[in-house]
Amino acid sequence: MRSASSLRQEFLKKWLKGLQIYSGSKKEMSILERKKAIKLSADVAMASTRISTSSWSRALMARASNDATNKVLVQHVLSPEAQKLVPIKKDPKKLMIISRSTSSISKRISSKKIVRRSCYATRRMRKAAAQVVEASSIAKRLVMKRTEVLKSLVPGGEYMDDVSLIRETLDYILSLRLQVDVMRHFANATEETDHGKGYK
Amino acid sequence: MSSRRSRQSSGSSRITDDQIIELVSKLQQLLPEIRTRRSNKASASKVLQDTCNYIRSLHKEVDDLSDRLSQLLSTIDADSPEAAIIRSLLAES
Repeated sequence: MRSASSLRQEFLKKWLKGLQIYSGSKKEMSILERKKAIKLSADVAMASTRISTSSWSRALMARASNDATNKVLVQHVLSPEAQKLVPIKKDPKKLMIISRSTSSISKRISSKKIVRRSCYATRRMRKAAAQVVEASSIAKRLVMKRTEVLKSLVPGGEYMDDVSLIRETLDYILSLRLQVDVMRHFANATEETDHGKGYK
Repeated sequence: MSSRRSRQSSGSSRITDDQIIELVSKLQQLLPEIRTRRSNKASASKVLQDTCNYIRSLHKEVDDLSDRLSQLLSTIDADSPEAAIIRSLLAES
């Protein structure tokens, strides 16, 4: 794992490199356009620091490249490595596996219920058993539901199996924190400079 | 390439307890508010929820900082005052 400071440096350099794309263009950028440019450059720069070690970064790049304008940015930031970038394609096989095992789990749960009901003699034991299964199936459903939410938050998450999702999530969170940290330092430094110069 | 293609013996679509233990211990370093619990399904969903909330808050921070920067930087040019900042930021690490 690379040192945090070398990652920060790489992010900062790439972020600024990406921002250079916009310096030539229309002088009168609206504040909103500027914000989008700043944010996109930062996201792309962050992803490029993890491009060879994670798949969320590639998904983010692929998503950014969907827009013709942004594609220029992506390729500029990646420059020598741009050729190696393979766009993420939806893997239908993967999606089928996930949905198939989801339905098999619910089948397993309902068949568990049936087996337990027929085994226990007394009504109370049957009821208690049904409640236990009910509770654990609710918990499982909750985990599955929350997993779906997580998949929507991590770039490329929808195509990941659960094990990869966890690993990618950890890498993604660490990168986000680094991005926030560098951006905040930069904003603070810029603000101080502006105040020092007597800007508004 | 876009995923680890190794054959997974578990290959399950639900998160197992071992994976939850791994996730909880790593997230504990990232999210100090997570209390140590018995690793069971209930805490798995709580960990997932906390993770999602945390990611959302990080997204919001990036957005807010981009807002702030778009107001601070009158142009996107890597111009002289910013160049000095950049140089100092790069030098300190």
